[in-house]
Amino acid sequence: MEKKTYKKLKGSQSFRLRLLLSTLTSTPVLIEDIRADDTWPGLRSHEISFLRLLETITDGCNVEINETGTKLKYKPGIVMGGKNLVHDCGVNRAIGYFLEPLLVLGLFGKKPLSIRLKGITNDPKDPSVDTFRLATLPILKRFDVQEGLDLKVESRGAAPNGGGEVLLSVPIVRDGLKAVMWKDVGMVKRIRGVTFSARVSVQFENSMRHAARGIFNRLLPDVHIFTDHKAGALSGKSPGYGISLVAETTSGCFLSADTAVSYGQRVEEGVFNDEDKNELTPPEEVGEHIASLLLGEIEQGGVVDSTHQGLLFLLCALCPRDVSKVRVGKLSPYGIESLRQIKEFLGIEFEIKPDPSTGTVNLICVGYGFTNLARKIS
Amino acid sequence: SRWKDSLKERIHLGKNKNLKQLIYGKSELKSTSSIDDAQGSSEDEESDEGEFFKPKGESNKNVREDFDGDNVNNDDCSRFSNHFDVTNWIEEEKYERIRDRFVTGDWSKAGRSGQDSD
Repeated sequence: MEKKTYKKLKGSQSFRLRLLLSTLTSTPVLIEDIRADDTWPGLRSHEISFLRLLETITDGCNVEINETGTKLKYKPGIVMGGKNLVHDCGVNRAIGYFLEPLLVLGLFGKKPLSIRLKGITNDPKDPSVDTFRLATLPILKRFDVQEGLDLKVESRGAAPNGGGEVLLSVPIVRDGLKAVMWKDVGMVKRIRGVTFSARVSVQFENSMRHAARGIFNRLLPDVHIFTDHKAGALSGKSPGYGISLVAETTSGCFLSADTAVSYGQRVEEGVFNDEDKNELTPPEEVGEHIASLLLGEIEQGGVVDSTHQGLLFLLCALCPRDVSKVRVGKLSPYGIESLRQIKEFLGIEFEIKPDPSTGTVNLICVGYGFTNLARKIS
Repeated sequence: SRWKDSLKERIHLGKNKNLKQLIYGKSELKSTSSIDDAQGSSEDEESDEGEFFKPKGESNKNVREDFDGDNVNNDDCSRFSNHFDVTNWIEEEKYERIRDRFVTGDWSKAGRSGQDSD
């Protein structure tokens, strides 16, 4: 029925990024062989949920999935945005999984986006909602995203049952993003963080804070880790605790590290859960571990941490036809995958120059010249 | 000595080229050693036993495959936790490695963008 040809892709890799780029460039995609050889083939429930989310915020998109779920036809619509939207993220992946693409999509909508997301707020796999608030949003501000960018954590939800809620507001960009010249890492001037505990004693937070502070003490006095103890309805459906730390540098870079601990051994489809009891990491170790991870990110010497490389590259590629220069530490697998998908959809190849003296990698690209086509012209 | 310098330079040049090719795919260059350089690779662990009965799901969990993009069903996750070893920062000399990355460190050294990291 459609005259447009579908871009043929394979496998479940970079699922979010592919659909994101497909939507922004209005390229229909046909993804085949999605976990075709797995014991449980096909799309996972979080991927279905992401497709539902796309349907919620866009208009005129069309999703077709075959019986086994190994084949997906996606015809993108126009990003509408809008207020008072609600999406249940399920409990397969944390809210962070959905926030990452949603942030970028929202920028290119017709109206500003304001959406309530329900699910798991903190888990070890995806960036926590606190990391988003403290580190991801400042990265977007670098690209000249105006006021109105906000993430409010209303209640916590740990794995396996979730129950957390966040409220995300994303403004639209009027004339596209602004290319960045972002190579100066600067020096770390302060470390901020948030610990949370839900349905466990507040003492867990004190232990995590104390342990994390112990690591930073010899390096920097300006360390503040706030606590966020939730009780009652605001604490979600499962007990858990966790910590998110962010280092801010003199040149305005935000490097993050976070994790969460809960009883949630979520049983994913396809993975047989043979260990019925998993031991929880004690809070002291969690604090020390994340503090060490953060120091590791600082040592890397990039303007963003390893988790945000993909987002950084994507934003650079979506800039107007202008040169962006950024510096990152070692390229992460997700960062590399993002570079490949950007080339696949936008045809942009980054110029990549390793800097052996500092162990960093410099990347240069010319933006795609992306403007917000969906917005209303008044 | 001088002859070594030019050699070093050439190695660096070669590396630059390879990194871009590694990412954007020139399959004939896959066997270069810089793959192992870039990520502390973790193959060779599933070498000897149980080759015959190999569960299908297990074969996906290989860092090397991640990097080469051979596996089309990679997990879609932005975090990479074993990006670097979590060093034990409590030991004093480990601190010194990144001392000048902080405002409490030496500002003049930091101006030359952290040359002490290698």
